[in-house]
Amino acid sequence: MFYRINMADLSVKKEEGALYQGLGGRALSSRIIDTEVTATAHAFSEGNKLVFVTGLLSGTGAPNAGRMSLGAKSPLTGTIKESNVGGTMGHKLGRLGIRGIIVEGLPQAEKAYILRVSSDGLFVEEMPELKGLDIYDTVEKLQSKFGMKIAIGCIGTAGENRMASACVGFTDMEGAPTRQAGRGGLGAVMGSKGIKAIIADDSGTKMVSFVDEAAFRAGSKKLANALLTHPVTSQALPAYGTDVLVNILNEAGGLPTRNFSSGRFEGANNIGGESLAATINERGGKTGHGCSPGCIIRCSQIYKDKQGEVVTGGFEYESCWSLGAHLGIDNLDDIALMNRLCDDYGVDSIETGVAIGVAMEAGVAKFGDSQAAIQLLHEIGKGTPLGRILGTGAETTGKVFGVRRVPVVKGQAIPAYDPRAVKGVGVTYATTTMGADHTAGYSVTANILGVGGKVDPLKPEGQVELSRNLQIATAFIDSTGLCLFVAFAILDIAEGLEGIVEMCNARYGWDKSIGDYLEMGKQVLRDERTFNHSAGISDGADDLPDFFRKELLPPHNVVFDIPKEELETVFNF
Amino acid sequence: MSNPIELRGFMGLFKVFKERNWSNPYILTIEKIVTGDELLIMLEIEKEQVEIIFVNGKAFLPSDARIQSGDRVALVPPGTPGPYRVLLGFVKKE
Repeated sequence: MFYRINMADLSVKKEEGALYQGLGGRALSSRIIDTEVTATAHAFSEGNKLVFVTGLLSGTGAPNAGRMSLGAKSPLTGTIKESNVGGTMGHKLGRLGIRGIIVEGLPQAEKAYILRVSSDGLFVEEMPELKGLDIYDTVEKLQSKFGMKIAIGCIGTAGENRMASACVGFTDMEGAPTRQAGRGGLGAVMGSKGIKAIIADDSGTKMVSFVDEAAFRAGSKKLANALLTHPVTSQALPAYGTDVLVNILNEAGGLPTRNFSSGRFEGANNIGGESLAATINERGGKTGHGCSPGCIIRCSQIYKDKQGEVVTGGFEYESCWSLGAHLGIDNLDDIALMNRLCDDYGVDSIETGVAIGVAMEAGVAKFGDSQAAIQLLHEIGKGTPLGRILGTGAETTGKVFGVRRVPVVKGQAIPAYDPRAVKGVGVTYATTTMGADHTAGYSVTANILGVGGKVDPLKPEGQVELSRNLQIATAFIDSTGLCLFVAFAILDIAEGLEGIVEMCNARYGWDKSIGDYLEMGKQVLRDERTFNHSAGISDGADDLPDFFRKELLPPHNVVFDIPKEELETVFNF
Repeated sequence: MSNPIELRGFMGLFKVFKERNWSNPYILTIEKIVTGDELLIMLEIEKEQVEIIFVNGKAFLPSDARIQSGDRVALVPPGTPGPYRVLLGFVKKE
């Protein structure tokens, strides 16, 4: 079932979505945007649409199936955008039988609306008391009115101010807005539609039905076994979170430091997963926290300050990096506060951290000065001219301050892996349809795809082929509603991937092979590239900023040296 | 006189270093070139506790690692997320 909302007249229509059968998650959001949005439309115009869609396995009891996708034309990149998020919303929408909510048109007046979804239908309601609130206050007001059992996705002042790095914050299992559809500024698109929040109440719903329940359960068990036995998903992530990567990337010489001027940070150990977990456990916070129903990886955490007050949650490697090593800051408490401010004002912590680092390079503040960085975040919250520049992202910040070393691709900030020392990620950054995005090439099934897993991160050989296969497999996983982190285990345990295929087939009565599902992944990439080409963003944009090819990165003193002609072959499939 | 090696332990080994009252990095003198396997025996660390040894920023299987005085070394237990095991060169099979 689909809902279509026109904000111009506040009408709501229910549809079957005949055009979009057999699709879920990213495959669905990107097909809708490619089909229905004029690629040259301005991201804040009536022609852009914002979609909330569930995955193929959403609402079921499948392990780690709590993700959902938001889609639109991005105000940050000008490309198509799928922003994937955890929390409780995806599961509730799935249980409500909703495959997609398509928001179109622009409101006639600057008001604050909410979309309220329940088993009674979808309702557009005005809530003026939410206008001008940041995300934590918005959530508190909605929970006091509608109760704690609802799922919430909402924007802060950054979204209302249409800043191009604005995110949409979603509530987790405890009702705290610690999960973000972060990348690409979809919070700003939501703001342009006059929507402050979407809330879902799945009370009274029944179990999601399956064509073959026994086969579904068997597949579910296979994936669960893989996740529960692999050391990364059963031990490392619950204990240390994704921040476990800080020390590893630092050791590999690929932890971008002080705006990509080095691959090693002397303060890495102070902000790494091991120190993070020790601090959390010492203060009575929580490691091994699951952000969504059915999560058995539990990589999230609840971080408390020295006084024992909760500061933030879902403290990811990329945020510890963007607000830490990238800024030359190694104080976890300061980084946690900055993460909270990003979540509260409603901006992507990767884009924002990178923008502040670019501003530091320009001399706006000194590297290592965490108090100055915190003040810059407050500028974003206040919506001052400086705050609006930073809130428009790293590329704009670089242009305004005349900085040459600006780490972006297609207008989106490069995250926490230096592409000179981890060249395979560099290929993905350069070529993905999303603008620089590490998660676009995350899912690894290299051995299953018959591709050798062996690459040297410092050498160009084999990286294009690796990135191609990662991007295809990722596009499929992003379409299922599964957390992409299931891929961490299925590299080594083939049974886990079999389980995913069996669950999708059993849910819908399909007889698809892994090859068929990977074809779905390829089609997602084709749809997205078609949109981008129509928007005027062609293959010429598939490259890294030139400083990566010219400036040697210590300690390995390497450049990104994969020829442009080879990058152009990534989508040869 | 030979330069000591600088040794780091990640994940569970971070705790092991603490329990043994070792600094992290731990400064250790070795008399000759040793393999990763030999180093683990010297350190009384079980083979199963280490997936990869970084030597001067490059990843090696313990049996392939060669460590000599002056090296920067890090012990990485199993648990690195899948894509990075490939992208960082931990996966050595064709």
